[in-house]
Amino acid sequence: MESSWATESLQVIRTLMERSAIYRRALAPMMLLVGGLGLAAAVIGWLAGIGSPRGFAAYWLIVSVFALAGAFFVVRRQALTEGEPVWSAPTRRVAQALLPAFFVGLVCGFLTAWPTWREPLQVWWLPPIWMVLYGCALHSAGFFMPRGIRLFGGGFIVCGCATLAVVNARSYAAGMPDLANAHWLMGAAFGGLHLAYGVYLGFTEKGKNEA
Amino acid sequence: MNAEPFLQLDRVIHEKGRLAIMSLLAASPQLAFTEMRDTLNMTDGNITAHLRTLQEAGYVSVTKEFQGGRPLTTFALTSRGRRAFTTYINLLEQIVQQTKSGK
Repeated sequence: MESSWATESLQVIRTLMERSAIYRRALAPMMLLVGGLGLAAAVIGWLAGIGSPRGFAAYWLIVSVFALAGAFFVVRRQALTEGEPVWSAPTRRVAQALLPAFFVGLVCGFLTAWPTWREPLQVWWLPPIWMVLYGCALHSAGFFMPRGIRLFGGGFIVCGCATLAVVNARSYAAGMPDLANAHWLMGAAFGGLHLAYGVYLGFTEKGKNEA
Repeated sequence: MNAEPFLQLDRVIHEKGRLAIMSLLAASPQLAFTEMRDTLNMTDGNITAHLRTLQEAGYVSVTKEFQGGRPLTTFALTSRGRRAFTTYINLLEQIVQQTKSGK
């Protein structure tokens, strides 16, 4: 009797300790913001005809800075509204999990944007590499977030790998279309997927705080 | 079965609500009042009463500050609270082990 009660208590303690470490702020507003920004950036990039290797990489690096700033703004606003610390332990863990892959993505972007001799074909590799890295970042952060984030990250990895295969195949056969078209790929991945997940979360995250 | 570990369990922590609060705080350096309330689905009055008991026992410390012009109240385990929680867990494990070994 006492043993079964003690076992149950230990299980409850373990569950609560795990729950305490999970990032629990609403993700839907963040996903919708990042998705909307990604889609808008794709349309603007295409309309503006940003098709040079350096221009493409630099443009999307700038967009990613805005997306990160926007996401932080949403997190901060939710925390202030809820009377919680902005830089809480789960937020720190999530940031630490995201950081390595984000850093590699940044380096890839800089290495692509820096040389002036870069061929457009080489830059076609950048969107799928960013997708894979972003997926890895989300998958890592997913260990401190609701389970869906790991699946979402996995989706990015699969889409990124599939795009890598297509770019690899076409670069030796038919060649790649104009680099300006890569904005649509970025828009579909970083805009469309975020928007879709944001809408899904909007319906399933009821009861959590809204920004 | 040896009833001694059970009798040694800290009565302050032993209550269900306070054990839940201690468990949350044991896994985080600090937690806001609202975070704990929402995670545990407790009412303001209920959680306040438990936190007061834990504070009086010296297990929990409270910090009040302002963040973005709004008051922010956070709670953390004291070193005494962490020791008491560890002892409590060890005793629970002893109880389980005793039963397994048939003492």
